[in-house]
Amino acid sequence: MKINSIDPRVNRSKIDPEKKFEEAKELDQWQTFEVFQQIKRGMHHQHVGCVHAPSPEIAFLFAKEQYARRGQCVNIWVVKSSDVFATEYEDADIFDSAPEKFHRDPSTYKVMDRIQAFKERQKS
Amino acid sequence: MNISEKGFFAIKEMLYKIADDQLILGHRNSEWTGLGPVLEEDIAFSSMAQDKIGHSLAMYEILSQMGESDPDTIAFMRNDDQFHCCHLVEYPIGEYEFSLMRHFFFDMAEAIRFEMLANSTFEPLAMVARKIKGEIKYHTMHAQIWINQLGAATEESNLRMQKALNETFPLALGIFEPGTHEEILAEEGIFEGEKALQDKWLQLVTPILEKAGLQVPSISSITPSYGGRFGSHTPHLQPMLEEMTEVFRIDPSAEW
Amino acid sequence: MYGNAYIDPSLAPNKLTQDEDPIKLAEFEARIAAGDKIEPKDWMPTEYRKQLIRMIEQHAHSEIIGSLPEGTWITRAPGFRRKLALIAKVQDEVGHAQLLYSAAETLGKPREEMINDLISGKSKYSNVFNYPAITWADTAVIAWLIDAGAIVNQLANSKGSYGPYVRALDRICAEESFHLKYGHDNVVYLATGTPKQRQMVQEALTRWWPPIMHFFGPSDKISVHTETLMKWKVKMASNDDMRQTFLNMYVPKIWDLGLVLPDPNLKKNTETGLWEYTEPDWEEFKRVINGDGPCNAERLAVRRQAEEKGRWVRQALLSKDSRYVTPLV
Ligand SMILES: [Fe+2]
Ligand SMILES: [Fe+2]
Ligand SMILES: [Fe+2]
Repeated sequence: MKINSIDPRVNRSKIDPEKKFEEAKELDQWQTFEVFQQIKRGMHHQHVGCVHAPSPEIAFLFAKEQYARRGQCVNIWVVKSSDVFATEYEDADIFDSAPEKFHRDPSTYKVMDRIQAFKERQKS
Repeated sequence: MNISEKGFFAIKEMLYKIADDQLILGHRNSEWTGLGPVLEEDIAFSSMAQDKIGHSLAMYEILSQMGESDPDTIAFMRNDDQFHCCHLVEYPIGEYEFSLMRHFFFDMAEAIRFEMLANSTFEPLAMVARKIKGEIKYHTMHAQIWINQLGAATEESNLRMQKALNETFPLALGIFEPGTHEEILAEEGIFEGEKALQDKWLQLVTPILEKAGLQVPSISSITPSYGGRFGSHTPHLQPMLEEMTEVFRIDPSAEW
Repeated sequence: MYGNAYIDPSLAPNKLTQDEDPIKLAEFEARIAAGDKIEPKDWMPTEYRKQLIRMIEQHAHSEIIGSLPEGTWITRAPGFRRKLALIAKVQDEVGHAQLLYSAAETLGKPREEMINDLISGKSKYSNVFNYPAITWADTAVIAWLIDAGAIVNQLANSKGSYGPYVRALDRICAEESFHLKYGHDNVVYLATGTPKQRQMVQEALTRWWPPIMHFFGPSDKISVHTETLMKWKVKMASNDDMRQTFLNMYVPKIWDLGLVLPDPNLKKNTETGLWEYTEPDWEEFKRVINGDGPCNAERLAVRRQAEEKGRWVRQALLSKDSRYVTPLV
């Protein structure tokens, strides 16, 4: 039997629709790379997604077209997913007190009152 | 610009063959869209096919400005004997190794051709050549990386790539079939010539293929597949054109 | 392109969460209620993971299979403008599949396993793609109206709770606006063109209307299960709501072109503000989804062949020391 398709590409490829699909013995799946894209010089690279690729070079070829085929881009990084050390969301509480560290907060340094008071004292 | 009347005639001939190559190969390669060997490669290959069709459009636009028909009419209303593409681009997509090797051979030549044309005395063409430089650079990076990695990866991949190389090599030499007006083009500083291009190409592709564990046949043992530049084509082209223009020709005067 | 997730209404409510740690479950639900996103390695109920994998996977399959009906006309698009746009549009759909498979992978199912399940028929995809694109005008109708339907669904889902899916959908929705414009432009050119062109587009619209009405699926049976999934922001809107949104946005635009929709009962009830229509043939819907549509066999066979043809490429570069791990996305 033959598929009689409206798509001439399909007819050219002579598919046998009866044929059973044989799964590969082992998943023929490449590793993944995380993709970072820089929109413009001066900006940080930003994580935009991942690609499946057998090597960093091919990962770059793929990343360029999957993530930068429209819009601006000046630079791409690809990093093996397995090389990324990530914190656990479970441990997100390690970041909790950061916003409250007042000694790092410039707005907590208010010396004008003190200077004013000092000046008043000098006058008298 | 001091280009003679003969020069303009020669330019038209050259533009037709460049554009026809790009259109036909872009069309062929676009057939992989949605059917590629892996999703990401599907996307990358499709982008390059679109670039190619875009490049042909830019060439047909120059031709239009030189008094030829509009790009759609040029591309969609001619029969095969009016096309000037080389045989390499006419073949169906085949297996992926065939498409990949064809892409490698063609785009390496294309990159050199446009590098040469970037300094052409024919300014409209030089301008396009400079503009599409980056796109072609990606195409050749893509081609080289794949050839390099697949050439000797496994016994099967080596066999497939070598077979594809043997099939496409004589066809690829057809890219450089000399035209009738090569001398005028060279004299007027428009284009150095197919012979020069072929020499540069061979010097460039040979070490890449060898490094990838593939054998490049000696060029003297090969009969190049000529004829395409003069309208004599493989049996694949006319049916492809009929397919490509099927809708357009329902009513060529309609706006689609 | 995708209609909506099929949810099994028969599942007993207590089955959903009975084995879950009540404290973790409460935290999880509170996070979602607060509008926060769930990320891949977060604790999540088994049923949440299961339904998301299923839904995102089906969505991804719909993109890759969805590239086939329009792909039918890639080699025949009339003129440079259409030729370039159609290739780019179909390419985008492949890109959507890639993004969605990646999002689903973060939940623990490798991409090749999902593709295997698609080809073996174990996993479903949107029913509309089992219909043929008979003429060039069909591709115009698909690009406009099927994509429009997909956008309604995707916009709703992009407000969901799972981070990687939401991020993928944000990117996808941005690209869909090109598809919609391209599709509309294409339909407008045909509808305002020669009598022959107009006839082509009218016939295509008539053919595609029933599948379009099927697109969002039958009315949801409200069950504890669907309510839970809505609370978890897995399912974001009811099928009927999405259908109404779609009809409200697009029927006027279709009528505006003087095109006729093959449903004499289709009209907007001015009192309720809702669209009324002849109930779609849900028997046909079921029959097609279960494999008996005009193109099911072809779609899967094409995908199988693409997978088999690409196998040597994937296997040649498979390296033993670069192990696949779940992507971060
Ligand atoms: Fe190229
Ligand atoms: Fe899509
Ligand atoms: Fe789309």
